[in-house]
Amino acid sequence: MGYVAVKGGTDAIANSIELVEFYRIKDETPPIHIRQLQAQFRLAIDKIMGEGSFYAPEYGALALKQVEGDVLEAAFIMRAFRATLPRLYYSAVIDTRNMFVQRRISSSFRDIPGGQILGPTYDYTQRIIDTRLADESYEQVQAFLQQFSARISETDRKAITTFGKVIDMLRAQGLLKGVGNRDDESEEGRRLVDITREAIKFPAPRSARLQMLARAETGGLMALGYSSMRGYGGVHPTVGELRVGLVDVTVSDPTGRSRYIGRVRVTEAEMITKAKTGKKSERSAGSVPYYAIGYGLCFGQNETKAICMGILDRAMRNGTKEAPANDQEFVLYHTDGIEAMGFTNHLKLPHYVTFQSGLNNVRRAVARSKKQAEANAASAPEPPMATDATASPGDAERMPSEVLTEL
Amino acid sequence: MEQNQRTDYILCECPLDNLTGFVGDLSVHYPLNLLKAPRLCLTMIQAEDSVEYQPFYLGEALTTTCEVAINKTVGYGICLGDEPERAYCLAVLDAVMALNDAQAPAIDRFLAEQLRLIQHREETELSHIMRTKVDFKLMEQA
Repeated sequence: MGYVAVKGGTDAIANSIELVEFYRIKDETPPIHIRQLQAQFRLAIDKIMGEGSFYAPEYGALALKQVEGDVLEAAFIMRAFRATLPRLYYSAVIDTRNMFVQRRISSSFRDIPGGQILGPTYDYTQRIIDTRLADESYEQVQAFLQQFSARISETDRKAITTFGKVIDMLRAQGLLKGVGNRDDESEEGRRLVDITREAIKFPAPRSARLQMLARAETGGLMALGYSSMRGYGGVHPTVGELRVGLVDVTVSDPTGRSRYIGRVRVTEAEMITKAKTGKKSERSAGSVPYYAIGYGLCFGQNETKAICMGILDRAMRNGTKEAPANDQEFVLYHTDGIEAMGFTNHLKLPHYVTFQSGLNNVRRAVARSKKQAEANAASAPEPPMATDATASPGDAERMPSEVLTEL
Repeated sequence: MEQNQRTDYILCECPLDNLTGFVGDLSVHYPLNLLKAPRLCLTMIQAEDSVEYQPFYLGEALTTTCEVAINKTVGYGICLGDEPERAYCLAVLDAVMALNDAQAPAIDRFLAEQLRLIQHREETELSHIMRTKVDFKLMEQA
């Protein structure tokens, strides 16, 4: 079979782009301002920034608007935009212990330093559609804000503070240690890798795994994290602490001075699991059980993602590949939303040549089969009884050509 | 937080209008030379896990950077976001503060006032957040 180069579709593509723009605004509703999106679609934008691996709320809002609310497509645009900018700075390590906490809970202990702070969350709302929002007016918004502000008087004002970590209590008691995975404790295992600059190889250093998980797609992480909790990998942790808030970002300027440049909102999950100290029969007298954590951290408020990142961080350190969630390559290659979406959507691109090639093979096989059937019929003493009254001898030949016509 | 970080914190977190107004008034006293106009770039944010302290890259953040000079004193402005005006103001104030001249008291007053506003805003937010602190009671106390 020869290849035939074709071209065309330029006008159709241009018209398709114009048409999708028409569908976005055809109802002539007032254009949505970016500031409105940024303010009122906070969680969607957080997800876009996390999966796009690019913290820029104003651009996240713009991307969301551009693609009619498709979060994954918006994350794709963010990651592409990110690739056009020079990276001039590397921050110092952010300090989540000094976070401006907006929410922090623990499901391991009731009483934690500073208390359980529910913060802004939909966890405790009833999942009932609020029809009042259908006619929400600016006056109603103002009235709510006034009422809300009045709840804090000058005397109630709290001084800015930070909160001690739950895991630090366990560590101080000697109950919490590192996982004890030998690969991760080696020099190569602890190396700081940037997966945007260095192709990943397996087994990957833990830094590469955490970076990939931090920009993975929430649904992908949740599916694999859930699989582990259900028994496929066996990591069913407890939330040591889940905190959401703002952390300071500092960089060195060209003179070497450390400069504060702003804050980013992050979600951090410390997932406590029991570390494996070997089978009971193999355990030495000095081998005592202890706890370790799986670590989750991502841009924005995205608790499901941070929790599942923590589960998978821990699962991938189990030292076996007995379940998908424990297998680095399986987890990391299949949870990057941009790559997965790109590959899935490439199926929509023309595959005319490869499909034609396959089709030719099928045609030849059908022809061979027909010839064989005819030869068998000629050499047989009596024609075999038809088992299917509705099928006729020509069906095998006709079917492919009918399918062909459809294609 | 170091002193210069404290200053940056105030200038990054204060209302933009206050900052541009103040720097606009201040600028008339200096021969400012824009070395590098505000431009967008990236900061790679580094994090680490909280038990084994394994460092890793969390992702990048949009950043604006700018450089100005007053005679031979260079000022650098860096801030998160698409914030050309703020980055420019940060660079100007960085250069002016390095001179430590007659404008220093006015700058100190401006910083103190902005810090007060920022603290008020953050304390208000934290106070609302702390209203969501769980008050556990034993069942028989309920």
